[in-house]
Parts: sequence; C-alpha cells; structure tokens
Amino acid sequence: MIEVQGLTKRYGDFPAVRELSFAVRPGEVLGLVGPNGAGKTSTLRCLAGIIPASDGTIRIAGHELAIDPVSAKRALAFFPDEPRLFEYLTVRQHLNFVARIYGVRDHETIARPLLEEFEILDKADQLPGELSRGMKQKLAIACGLLHQPQVLFFDEPLTGLDPLGIRRMKNSIIRRARAGATIVLSSHLLHLLEEVCTHVLILKKGEKIADGTLAEVAQRFSNGESGVNLEEIFLRATGGSED
Amino acid sequence: MLGALLYLRLTSARNWAKSRLRRLRQPKYLVGAIVGCAYFYFFFFRHLGRQPTRRLPDGAVLDATHAALPTEWLPVTTALGAVGFLILLALIWLVPSQRAALGFTEAEIAFLFPAPITRRALIHFRLLSSQLRSLVGAAVMMLFSNRWAVLGGNAVTHAIGWWFIFSSLNLHFSGASFTLTRLADLGWSVWRRRLLVFAAFATVVAVSIHRLPPEAAASESHAPGDLRAITAWVVTLAETAPLAWLLVPVHAVLGPFLAIDTRHFLLALGPALGVVILHYLWVVRSAVAFEDSAIAQAQQRSARLAAWREGRSRRTATTRSRRDPFALAATGRPELAFLWKNLLSTWPYFRLRVFLVAAAILTAGCVWLHRQPTAAPFLAGVGVLAVSLGAYLLILGPQFARQDIRSDLGHADVLRVYPLRGWQIILGELLTPVCILTAVVWLTLLVGALCFWPSTTSAPWLSLPVRVTASLGLALITPALVALQLLVPNAAALLFPAWFQATRSRGGGPEVVGQRMIFVFAQIVAMALALLPAAALAAVIIAVGQWLWGTAVAVGFASVGTLVLLVGEVGGGVWFLGTRFERLDLSAEPPPSA
Ligand SMILES: Nc1ncnc2c1ncn2[C@@H]1O[C@H](COP(=O)(O)OP(=O)(O)OP(=O)(O)O)[C@@H](O)[C@H]1O
Ligand SMILES: [Mg+2]
Repeated sequence: MIEVQGLTKRYGDFPAVRELSFAVRPGEVLGLVGPNGAGKTSTLRCLAGIIPASDGTIRIAGHELAIDPVSAKRALAFFPDEPRLFEYLTVRQHLNFVARIYGVRDHETIARPLLEEFEILDKADQLPGELSRGMKQKLAIACGLLHQPQVLFFDEPLTGLDPLGIRRMKNSIIRRARAGATIVLSSHLLHLLEEVCTHVLILKKGEKIADGTLAEVAQRFSNGESGVNLEEIFLRATGGSED
Repeated sequence: MLGALLYLRLTSARNWAKSRLRRLRQPKYLVGAIVGCAYFYFFFFRHLGRQPTRRLPDGAVLDATHAALPTEWLPVTTALGAVGFLILLALIWLVPSQRAALGFTEAEIAFLFPAPITRRALIHFRLLSSQLRSLVGAAVMMLFSNRWAVLGGNAVTHAIGWWFIFSSLNLHFSGASFTLTRLADLGWSVWRRRLLVFAAFATVVAVSIHRLPPEAAASESHAPGDLRAITAWVVTLAETAPLAWLLVPVHAVLGPFLAIDTRHFLLALGPALGVVILHYLWVVRSAVAFEDSAIAQAQQRSARLAAWREGRSRRTATTRSRRDPFALAATGRPELAFLWKNLLSTWPYFRLRVFLVAAAILTAGCVWLHRQPTAAPFLAGVGVLAVSLGAYLLILGPQFARQDIRSDLGHADVLRVYPLRGWQIILGELLTPVCILTAVVWLTLLVGALCFWPSTTSAPWLSLPVRVTASLGLALITPALVALQLLVPNAAALLFPAWFQATRSRGGGPEVVGQRMIFVFAQIVAMALALLPAAALAAVIIAVGQWLWGTAVAVGFASVGTLVLLVGEVGGGVWFLGTRFERLDLSAEPPPSA
C-alpha cells in the first residue's frame, strides 16, 4: 500500500517532481511513464527513502516514511536502473549480507530458487566484476526479494535482460502482484508495460499529466477511437506525437 | 584526428576546473579554498621571488658545517639523484605483470577504440595526457624543491628540470610496458623476465662494486651510522664503470634540474632533450610494433576490449573473492553484517586467527629476548618503541584503515534502503577499522608490556601489579580511543561528501589541500576536547584512589571510569553521525564518481 500526497522534489531550485499525489493498493501494478528527465527516477528514489522529499508525505504499508523510516523500509524493496553491488562480495556473500541486514532466517531456502530462477546459481562464488550486466541486475533483484517485501519499486527493470529474463521478470511481477504485493515500476518499454501494469501514471517535466487504470487513461486520450495502445496514448499525452 | 583528441583533453580539463569553481559557491568549499590558498602562499610562493638564505650578501650563514654551496653538493646530489632514478627505472622493468595498460578511462575506451583512429594517434593522445600530468607535477614539485638549499638554479630551471624528469619517466614507463608486452607475446613468462632483469642490474652493480678503488672501500670503516661515509661510497660507486655508463642518460635527464646556474642549465638542455626525444621515438616505434604484433592477436585483443567494454576492467584481476571472515548467522545484530562485509573488502590477513598467531609469536619472541643476557639493555628500548608505534598507529591509523562509511559513501544509496537507523549504519561501518586498529595496537601493547620492565630502583612505583593493571587498562580503553579517532574523518566524510571524494582522487587544487589541513587541525582539536575530560577523570581517580586502595587498584578503577566516559562520547558521536547520514541529501552532492 503506497499513498503519496503532494510529493515535491527540488534539486537546488530546479523542481524535478511537482506536487505529485497518487495511491497504489495491494495487487496493483503502477507503471510510471514519461519522457527522459520527467522525474521518474527522482520519484522512485524519494519513495524508497534514498533521497529526502522536499515536500509532501509518503506512506508505505501504513508507515510514514519521514517519521518511521525503518518500518517503512522493512516493507519495501528498491531496484535501481543500474544494479548497485559491492565489488568485493561474491553472489552468495551478497545474499548472506542482505539476509543479516533484514534478519531473514531461512534465507538459503529462499535464495536458492531465486538464483535458480535467474540462472545465476553456478555463479554463486563469483564477484560482480565477473558477471555480465544482466546477471548483476538479476543478483540485485534476488537481493531485494530476499526479505519478501510487500512494496516493490522497479526503475527500468526490463532493460538489460535477455528475452527469457524479460518474460520471467514480467511473470514474476504479475505473480507478486497477484499475491498481494504493491508495485510501482518505471519503463520506456510501453508494450511490455501494457502487459504488466494495471494502472499508469504519465509524468512530464515533473508533473502528473494523467493517471488511472489503463482503460481510464486510454479513454481520456482516445478521442473516441477504440483500441488505442499505450504508445499512442503516451505520445498524445506528452505532446510528442510524430505526426 | 589529433585535433579531436586535443579538444577532448582540453574540454575535459576545462569542465573539471569549472565544476570545481562552481562548488566554491558553497561556503564550506570556499573556506577550504581560502585556507588552502593561504597555505600555498605562506609555504611556497612567498619564497619564490627570494633566494634561499645561503645567498645572504654578507655570507654570514656560510657556516662550514651546514651551509655548503650547491657546487660542493653537486657530486652528492647528482649521484644520489641518479641512483634513485635508476632504482625507479629498474622497478619499471621489474614490477609490471600486466600487459601494456594504455591508461584509458572506460569512457575513452568506449568512444575512442571503436572510432576510426590509428593506434599511433591513440598513443599520441595518451602521451598528451601524461604531458598534462607532467606539467602539473613539475609545477608542484618546483614549489617544494625551490626551498631545498642544496640546489642551485632558480624556480624556472627547477620547473623545467622537473618537467624533464617527469616526462622521461612517463615515456620510459610507456616504452617499457610496450616492450614488456612484446616480450610476453614472445612467450616470456613474468618471472623469467623479472629474474633476467634483476640479474642484469645485479651484475652491473656487483661488477661496479668489485671494481671500486680500494680507498673507497676503506672509507666504509668510519664510525657506524656516519652518513657521510655512505654517501661518499655511493658517489664513488656511481662514478665507477659499468654503473657509470648506465647512469649516463640518467645524468642527462637530471642535468637541467641540478644545474647550479643558467649557463650550466643551458648546457644541460641539449642532452636532456636528446634523451626525451629518443624516448619518444622509442615509444612511438614500439607502439607501432605493438600494433603489428597485435594484428596476429586481433581476436584476443577484441575479446579483451569486449571485456573492457562490459565493465570487466583490469580491476577484477586484483580483487579476488575471499572466504568469509567468520560465519555470519542470518539473525542477530545487523551491525555485525557490516563488520563481516568490510572485512571482506580488505586484506585477508585481518582475521582472528592471524591475530592470535601474531600474539603467540610476539610473546615467544619477547620471552626469548628476556632469556638473552646480551639483549637486556635493549629490552626497555624495544618496549618503548612498541608503545610509541602503538600511539602512532592510534593517531595515524584512521587515515589508513578506512573500511568504514568513507569507502562506502559510493554505496550510500544502497545503504539508505536498508531498514536501519542512521546510527546503526555508522556503528556497523565503524566496526571494521576499530577491530583492525585495536588488534594492531593491542599487539604493540603486548610487546610493550612484555619488554618494558624498568629496574625496581629507577621507578619503584612501577611495580608488577601496576604494570599489569596499566597494560590491561590501556587495552580496555583502546577500542574506545580508536573509535573516537575514527569518528573525526568519518564526520568529515559525511559533512563534506563531495570534497571528501575529491581528496581521495589524485591531484587536488588548493581547496583540497586546505580541506586536508582543516581536517587535520579539526582532528587534533576534537581529540584534545574529547580526551580532556577522560584524562582529568583518570587523574582524579588515581590521585585519590592510590591512598585508598593502592596504585594498582586505582589504575584499574581509572581505566574503567575512562572507558565509561569514552564510550559515552563515542555513542554520542555515532548517534550524531547517524542523524547526519539520515539527513544527507545525496542528490545535493555531486555523484561520487565525478
Ligand atoms: N542529482 C541531481 N541533481 C540535479 N538535478 C538532477 C539530479 N538528478 C536528476 N536531476 C534532474 O531532475 C530531472 C528528473 O530526472 P530523473 O532522473 O528523475 O528523470 P527520469 O524520468 O528518471 O529520466 P530517464 O527516463 O532518463 O531515466 C532531470 O531534469 C534531471 O536533470
Ligand atoms: Mg530514470
């Protein structure tokens, strides 16, 4: 459960996110879309508590992030666009470390299927420097899923994965949402978002242009046409139409 | 094509300078810049115009013992400089074990290697970059050497002299690495090459020593520890063939720097320039040859380039996966996870097992020393030496053991997602350097306690019980002392992240120097303030307690009291840094990679 009220993020004087409000309920997958520099990463980083919001309130699983960050963070996982790993820890040591941080008791039984699913089980004793980019991303995801978070934030989760990885990632996201997780993800791969998301939020220059279920947003930008896809909606909404 | 590369170099330098200047808008950086500039002014530039004191008109300071003229120093400076230079050159040939590293950044590889640029142009680009470094190095070194009274010449000749030194070293390094790569391609193993190079150098030195005139050898029999005898011997050795032949190009390079006046300087320019030009030709030629030999291995190289591009840079060759320092249970205090993680980031010798073995060996060594009748007079000396080493480590150790938030600042965004309070992260991060430094200081304390047994007549109050409780008491407060010391640089890292990152990278402007000075000063002041109450408390407890319970017990109580106070201070510090970490706005600071 995520509730955002009037979220604003300024870098110096530059407002990267302005007065953003939305809510995501368990089982929903919100797709954050917008042109480069729209403020998607800034929003997600604020939601995960990495950078402080300049204004507004964020509630994660019932805990207000600014007041009770530890409880809020215990419930969430954040997956940055670039996997961030410790260069001196092996795959297995990463999982070991994260398990201790979150106090995950039976982490080996949780980690093993994750590594198997991501096909990095045979790399368990290698350092990040010896992994390919996609493998690093998979490791970062495995680390984040270890404590079975209820709230997940993905920044561009599908870039860098192979086709099979993309399909697994998609299925994994859908499965977790069905199991009651609350998910926000940003991506430029709109046709993939269409398959995963229940809701979309379109950002432009830090401001919300539209949000709601896919059908609602489509309705708003369809101009009476039927079967308008997300890409067309995106182009119309952000005013970047090709024609 | 070289134009584009020059443009890249110059714009990079300009943007770097610009971002530095922009940062000065923040007051904390501006203050550092002012302090740094003042430092530079007072220590270097003020002297630039002036001649060193030896040139005072009345010649009053020309004392025979310590103010000899540069001309008299010349043989010594030349010989020592040349030998030092030769050792550097030998290392250039001995040490490298990797293939010629072109020294490009990842971005340069990504942009330049796939671009239609010849290998020769790339080499020139690289030489250009190193020229920039040589110029900066020459300017900085000139500021230092300008104050060395043993030198003749002036600021300009020193700067140019340094430039010759840096340029030829740089060029030699490039040339040597290309040559070594070719040797490797011919099937020479690293150790075979090292052995041969070492044997060659050793032969030259041995033959020269053998050929030394007998007087030179005899002068060795000066009083032991007389440095003049050693320098005289080195000077004679450097003038003996075949070492003298080997040193001819070295002398040519050092000539402009060591020239005592303008005439000698101008005379020295020719040979120095000649050596640099020969080096340049060697590098460019061997680079082309390197390309030839590389064509045969094109596949290998492209695989290597691919590895580079994927980010599997050379660093992975040096970082190895290590075994867990200890078994980390899944539950328990999360702070210990940081100890576990950071121990993995450093040498694998910092383990409990190694510590115990070291303690056992040192104990055995000290016991053995006690048994030696001849060693008795040295024992106290060894003890004092060990304790001073411990004190030195306590003060300087935090600069070396930095497996804490300082090295994890680049991962701050990862740490921020963890469900931990700021103080927990700070505490966890501090544990590794605290453990490492405490262990090392404990070892020095152990040696000190085992060796420092003053005779009962000279210090009767220093009885065995007092010594034992004092040692144990010191050991008890060591972790708290170390933690307190570590808090200061960690605070610096959290309060000035961007600046802090800048001081870690090579080179630095005046604001970085100024910042370092402020930090050192702050560390001293902070330590004095933090230790004052503890020292006062200990003094009071000992003064009062020794009448009530005797000295040994009083020392014990004093240690415990001090410990409580220090732990309180460390706790406060950790808590404060924790709140700073929670409030740290990573986005307001430049990214750590910049
Ligand atoms: N640390 C920072 N300091 C200053 N400005 C920043 C910083 N990070 C981002 N910005 C600015 O904030 C705006 C939003 O950036 P953000 O990274 O959130 O965009 P995004 O929607 O994630 O873009 P993309 O699709 O390219 O990932 C951009 O204009 C960017 O220049
Ligand atoms: Mg982004």
